[in-house]
Formats: sequence, structure tokens, C-alpha cells
Amino acid sequence: MTVRVSEGKRAERRLGWLLCAPAAIVMVAVTAYPILYSVWLSLQRFDLKFPDEREFVGLSNYITVLSNEYWWTAFGVTMLITVVSVAIELVLGMGLAVVMHRTLVGRGLVRTSALIPYGIVTVVAAFSWRYAWTPGTGYLANLFSDGAPLTERASSLAIIILAEIWKTTPFMALLLLAGLALVPDDLLKAASMDGATAWQRFVKVTLPVMKPAILVALLFRTLDAFRVFDNIYVLTAGANETSSVSMLAYNNLLRGLNLGIGSTMSVLIFISVAIMAFIFVKLFGTAAPGREEGRR
Amino acid sequence: MKLRWGLLDAVVVVFALLPVLWIVSLSFKTTATLTDGNLIPREWTLENYRTIFQTDQFVRALVNSIGIALISTTIAVVLGTMAAYAVARLDFPGKGALVGVSLLIAMFPQVSLVSPLFDIERQLGIFDTWLGLILPYITFSLPLAIYTLSAFFKQIPWDLEKAAKMDGATQAQAFRKVIAPLAAPGVFTSAILVFIFCWNDFLFAISLTSTERSRTVPAALSFFTGASQFEDPTGAISAAAVVITIPIILFVLFFQRRIVAGLTSGAVKG
Amino acid sequence: MVTHAGTWVRATAAAVALLLLGPMTACGSDEGGVPTINFYYAQEQNLQKVVDDCNAEAAGKYRISYQVLPRSADDQRVQMVRRLAAEDSGMDILGLDITWTQEFASADWILEWTGANKSEAEQGTLAGPLESAEYDGKLYAAPKNTNVQLLWYRTDLVQQPPTTWDQMIQQALELKQQGKPYQIITMGAQYEGLVVLYNTLVASAGGHILNDDGTKAVFDEGAVRGLEILQKFASAGVTHPSFTNTIEDDARLQFQNGDGAFELNWPFVYPAMQEGAPDLAAKVKWARYPGVDSGTPSKVTIGGYNLAVSKYSKHPDLSFEAALCLRNAEHQKFSAINDGVPPTIESVYADPEMTKAYPMKDEILAELRDAANRPLTPAYQNVSTVMSATLSPPASINPEKTAKELRGSIQDALESKGVLP
Repeated sequence: MTVRVSEGKRAERRLGWLLCAPAAIVMVAVTAYPILYSVWLSLQRFDLKFPDEREFVGLSNYITVLSNEYWWTAFGVTMLITVVSVAIELVLGMGLAVVMHRTLVGRGLVRTSALIPYGIVTVVAAFSWRYAWTPGTGYLANLFSDGAPLTERASSLAIIILAEIWKTTPFMALLLLAGLALVPDDLLKAASMDGATAWQRFVKVTLPVMKPAILVALLFRTLDAFRVFDNIYVLTAGANETSSVSMLAYNNLLRGLNLGIGSTMSVLIFISVAIMAFIFVKLFGTAAPGREEGRR
Repeated sequence: MKLRWGLLDAVVVVFALLPVLWIVSLSFKTTATLTDGNLIPREWTLENYRTIFQTDQFVRALVNSIGIALISTTIAVVLGTMAAYAVARLDFPGKGALVGVSLLIAMFPQVSLVSPLFDIERQLGIFDTWLGLILPYITFSLPLAIYTLSAFFKQIPWDLEKAAKMDGATQAQAFRKVIAPLAAPGVFTSAILVFIFCWNDFLFAISLTSTERSRTVPAALSFFTGASQFEDPTGAISAAAVVITIPIILFVLFFQRRIVAGLTSGAVKG
Repeated sequence: MVTHAGTWVRATAAAVALLLLGPMTACGSDEGGVPTINFYYAQEQNLQKVVDDCNAEAAGKYRISYQVLPRSADDQRVQMVRRLAAEDSGMDILGLDITWTQEFASADWILEWTGANKSEAEQGTLAGPLESAEYDGKLYAAPKNTNVQLLWYRTDLVQQPPTTWDQMIQQALELKQQGKPYQIITMGAQYEGLVVLYNTLVASAGGHILNDDGTKAVFDEGAVRGLEILQKFASAGVTHPSFTNTIEDDARLQFQNGDGAFELNWPFVYPAMQEGAPDLAAKVKWARYPGVDSGTPSKVTIGGYNLAVSKYSKHPDLSFEAALCLRNAEHQKFSAINDGVPPTIESVYADPEMTKAYPMKDEILAELRDAANRPLTPAYQNVSTVMSATLSPPASINPEKTAKELRGSIQDALESKGVLP
């Protein structure tokens, strides 16, 4: 593909590389070895407790994990939490963004308080939820139920999802708010004058401009949601089949010190997330970063 | 109309703050009433706050947290802005690779990267230093920064820049008066997100530090102790959580006002 | 506003540049020729005094530096493992939860105790804690402190403390019928505490989870009996509603809130209750943990910490010496009185000063004399993770079936095969 390029093109290339180089160098320098090392570990039997048994086993760790019942249960739970919480967060986040964008009364107050949940240390928030939902020690359990909601599967999952939503809707909202800020006011005014209803304006004018922001919000929230750990660890410790794939990876890697199986799980989590990311990027087409807009 | 927005505001504030109120309330409760289930403390005490400020450990961790988060945020946003501008505006080979690799980094579970990172940092002698935390923080927040910013830059009507120049503005003026205000919301949004990420990280903070020289607050929390091995210092932890949320509030208060609709009068979107 | 912020950020950045690139002050540096012994141990409020004391005694021979580990046991273990895997010579004495000793010994991370050091560590030490420090017939650590759960009961509700689980459940049911507080409160969440409970039941029933050398999962008759009792207890309607999500501190609070007639928990609950619920504490007494068969006293699972010397230590000989000082009788007594951790040296219990700080010391000592250890195997973390997942929630245990399942899954866990839940 050596085609002659014009001087301008060449300058553009150089500038592009120059601008990207610092970021690229930092990212690669810090993560290349750890990521490759994890992939390499996933192909070995390597248990720190039994250092003498270390050997290369090819894909056998993958077979072990993928034929394991715990893995699939955790995978299902993780998918459920991801899909439900991200979907709800998108809707709530959009609403929140609109409120944060449009409100004139005490905007600083509204925006800041809306962002506080995201700013609170997750583990502390999780502990406070745990207290809140435990009968005897919490205001919510005493209010809403007569049993102990964290001891049953359905209610535990609901509380985990609620805690996730409360915590990360602000993240979604903030990204969407930034997107909203890009919607030209006069375009909306023009549409309004053409007799478009508020809903039509939202769908026809606002949403298309926000598409890239929505994609980024969805993408990064999904990555994060799929790796849910803190809330489950504190709220149920995985009891009643509420364990997530990250909890499984944690148990195998850090408690079991089984670096082989643990790394295999990390790679599998990575692949799952990559597939979801791929689907999002496909769905959003040209809104994805780095894609050229063919038509506008 | 105003009333309706006011009402919505109230809903938002309650939704966001009721659980926070619970944490605040825990931080003001006495040991005896800590878990009586009341949303409002029956007996108020400042004991928990006194406990955390008793030694300079917590203060030291606060200083570390503020320093590390500010430096990481600044660098990540600057590097992210540069890369994002290139991704959104320029055409060059390797762009797809950059976008792909940065997403890959964001997707890999961090828990399995921590041990190799520990090994590297020990070899380089940056284990348990500020730099040892700043590097991973920049790395792991860059993907989000690049994505947010490039999504953003892409939607900016860059034609305005040309228009301004045609109207006689210099390149610098065009950038400052036209482009910068439009880019500001994206830049400050990513600054807020990156700052919160660095501020709240526990995994790297606990794994890549070993003394109070570089330990940040979330890691320091795990060194608080209750009266015995089995008692959680819930009151003190809640108080610390309240205290460390204040810098975030200030940070957000300060930067959110930049996230407003850009100047778009006369904009003709292509 | 923006430029202002920019300047500020730049100024801050400049100010911290020094800090950032400042030289690495290695925590293990030897000052003035006195070798520093780095002692990694969980936070214990008054342990620094013990360290200071030992340093004074050493008179310049060595200087112990206490490096505090995080609160959570998992975090403590991970930090030490990460450094040992990297062959870090900055750690000398390690504070190990008693269930980690075999793992660290098998991975060849800690040194065997031999000769005079070994005899001193064994001298007068209770058999249970000592057993927890052995692997493959050799001694790998010196027990620093132990711990054991007791039965706490309300004297206003219970005249005669029960000696078996059946009796206790029966008494609770009677109280329930009378409309009085009746619950039996203990730890039932899916974590280590549930394994401790089950291990006590199995040991009290004379059963075995593993064979004697810790290589085979047996789950014999006594182990099945343990499953039966656990299942019966969990489904008899005598537990707290949160039983299956309860850890130590939750149990303490539930009892302090007045819901329970009985509580099975570590001794920390007593001083905590005197502070948090003094009225209730006046009505509470303690007794030996209930057994399984009447006439056969319980065998209760012990906890505690052992001190080991890292294989990568630069000063192994001094480390052994320093470890012995940290856990000698005098310092164990000091820690027992000031930090509430029960001693591993039997003679310390006879000290008159102990009576005031430890009103329940006779019951503790009685339980310690025929205590039970959790399965002693390098793969204990695997075993525990699998067991707690299989036993939770306890009400849905099906004794024979669960035992069969455990025989398979625990065997895999021992060999580190397959996946941990």
C-alpha cells in the first residue's frame, strides 16, 4: 500500500503520530508485559502453593473453566446484572442528564449532588447498603420487608443491581450531559418553530448528535458492570448463587493462588467484554471513535 | 415550567443523597447506637472524626490522594486530549490500532495485572512511590479520556474555525474564542471522571504501596481497626468516607460550570 | 477561571515533583549497623509496645520494625504472598493466620524451626495451636496467640446452659413458644466463619473432613453427623433471619440488640457488649460451647496467629530470636490483657493478673485443652472456599448427598484441580 502521498497528507500523519505517541507509549509501557504475562499464565498449570508442578498445558485451563458449572452460573449472574443495570442506568442517566442540563435553579447543587454517589468509595457505599438492608441494623430492611432480603437470591440480586445503579448512574449522566452540551440550541429552536414536539426534537435532533457520547457511556459502563465485584463481595459474598465472574477470578487467583486458572478467567472475562464492545461498536457504526464518517 | 424542573431537581437530589445521608448519619453515631437502624442518629458524636484525625496517618493519606489524583488527572487529560484530537480530526495509519489497544487495556481485568505490575515496579524502584501509582492511573484512565474526548471532538463543528479565520481571526484567536469553549465540556467531563477514578481506586493503591509515604485514602481505610480483630470500625470508616467525599464535591463544583452548551449561534452543522 | 486552575495545578505539580522522584527509602534499611528485622503483622493496638520492649531487650543486637498489614485476612495474605513470590528480602517475620502455615511451608516460603529455637517455641505451648504450626512433621512457626468461641447466654432466660446442640435448639424452641427472645445467634454467611462452625460440629461428633495426613477427603460418619446438625439448626426456626448473611460483628450486634437467648462467638463480644449494651451484659454469662452427644464435651475450632520466618530473610537467626521474644510468656500475657488475644502458652492462664481481664479464662482453657484444628493442608484456602460455598445456605443441606458431593469437590480442591466457586 505504498502510494504517493501529498505533502499535506504527510504532515497530517506526522502530527497524528506525534499527538498520539505519548498516550500510546504510556499505555503500552505499563500494560504490555502484564497483559501478555497473564495470557501466558493462562496456558500453564501454575499454582503458587505447588511450585514444582508448573507446566505448559495449552488450552486445558480453558476447557476446565468452560466446562465448569460455577463459571456458567456466575456468568449468567454477571450478564443479568450487566444488562439490567446498564439498561436502567441508560434511561435514568439520560433523564438525569436532561435535568442537569436544563435546570437553572441551583444548577451547581443539582449537578454536584447527582455526582456524589459516583464519588463515594464503593466499598464504603456497599457496607452502608449492607447495614441498611439487614434487619435490626438498617432503615431500609425495617421499612420494606419483614425478612432478611440479603439472604434470598432474587432480593439479593435486586439489591446488588440497585446499589450498582445508584452508584454509577451519575457516570452515565455526566457523559450524556457532555453530549447534550453539544446539541446546538438554534437547531432545537428551528425544529420547535417547525412544529416538532418535544419528543420529536429529542429523537430527531438531540439523539443523533449525542450518539457518540451514548456509545462511550454504554461501552465503558458495560465493561465496568461486567466486572462487578465490590458490591457483591460486601453484600452477599456470593452466597445463594450471586457470585460474579470477577469474584470467581478473585477466588481462584488471590485466594486459591492458582495463577493458571485465575488468569484463564481473566482472559475469558476480557473476551466476553470484547464481544460486547464489538457489538456496540457495530450497532453504532460511524459514531465509534476512529471510524470515518462516510456520509453526514 | 420552573416548578416542574424544581420538582425534578428535588427528586434527583433525594435519589442521590438519601443513601449518602445514611453514611453521614453512621459517621455521627456512637458505638452503642451505630446499628440501631435509625436514619437519624439518636445520639450525636464527633468521636469518629476525632479518631481519624488523631494520628497523622489519615492526613498523610489525604495529601497523597490529592497529589496523586491531581497529577494523574492533569497528565491523563492532556495526553488524552492530544490523542483524541488526532483520532477525531486527523487521518493517519495506526489510528485504528490506537483506538483498539486503548479499549483492550480498559477491558482486561485489572486484578490479574496487579502482580506483574508489582514485579516491574519493584525492579524499577518505583514501588511505594507516587510515581508508582500515577503511572497505572494515567494508563487506566487514558482509554476513557481518549474515547470521551474523541467522541466529543467529532461532534464539534470545526467549520466554525474556518469561518472565524475567514472573518479575520488568527489561528490562535479562532481556537481560543471558538473551539476551546466548545471543547471545554468534554475536557472537564473527562477530568471529573478521571479524577474520581484515581481518587477511589483501591486495587492499585493497596497493591502498589506499602507505607504511608504513598498510601492513598481508600487503601488507608483498610488499615483502620476496630476494638478487636472481628469488629469493623464502621463509624470511623463512614467518617473517613464523608471527609474524602468533600474534595470530590469541591472538584465537581469547580469544574461542572464548564459543562454547558457551547456557543453555537450562527453554527451551521454540515 | 480556567487559567487560574491551570496555574494552580501546575504549581501543585511542581511542588510534588520532589516527593515524586524522591529517593526510595527502603523500609528495611539497616541503621547504624543494627540489623533491622521487618515484622509484618496485622494491626494490633498495643503490639508496638511489645516490639519496643523486645528492642530494648535486644540491646542493639537487632531492631524490630513493625510493618502493619491491612485489616482483612485476605488482604494480609495476598500482600505477603505477592512479596514472597517475588523473593522479596524485605520481610523477616510474618504473622500468619493459623490456617496459612501449611500453605506457606509447602510453597517453601518459610523456614523450619530447629534446635533450641524449636524447643523454646514448643515449651509449654498448648497442643492445638502447636499442631497448627506444623507441616510434614516439622515445625514451621511459633504460635503467638490462639482463639476459641464460647457459648454466651442470657441468664434471665436460660437457667442451665445447654451442653449439646439438641438441648440448645430445644430450649430455644421453648422460649419461642413462651414469646420470649429465643434466637441462637452465630455466623452463617458464606465465608470462613461457616467453615469454623461446621468444623466444630464435625470434631465434636468425632468425625473427620480429611484423613490424618491431609491428602484425602474422607467426610466420614461424624462429618455427615455434622451436616445433619447444621441443617437441623438452620431449619429449626431458631436462627436470626439474617443467619445466612451473618459474620462475627453482625452476630455480636444481633445479640446486643436483644434478639438472642444464645450466642456462639469469640470472646471479643464480651468487652464489646459491656461497652455497647451494658444492661444486657450484666445478664449474660458464658459456658463451654455445646457438644454433639451428651456426655462428650465439644471440640471447638481454634483461631489465632503464628509467627514464621521468611525464607528470603537476610537475618534468619536474629529473626527466630526476635520472633521468640515477641511471643514469649510475658508478652503473650501483655497482649492478652491489653489486646484481648488469648495466649498459646498454658502457664500464662494461671497468672493472677489474667483473672481480672479474662473472667472467662477457665472455659477458654478447658476448650483449648481439647481443641480442634481446621483441616491442615497447604490447599486450605481451596478447601475452605469450596466448603463454604457448598454449605451455604445451611438449611438446604442434604446430609448424605452433600457429603458425597464434598468428597469429590474437596478432593479436587486438595489437588488444586478444577475451579474454585
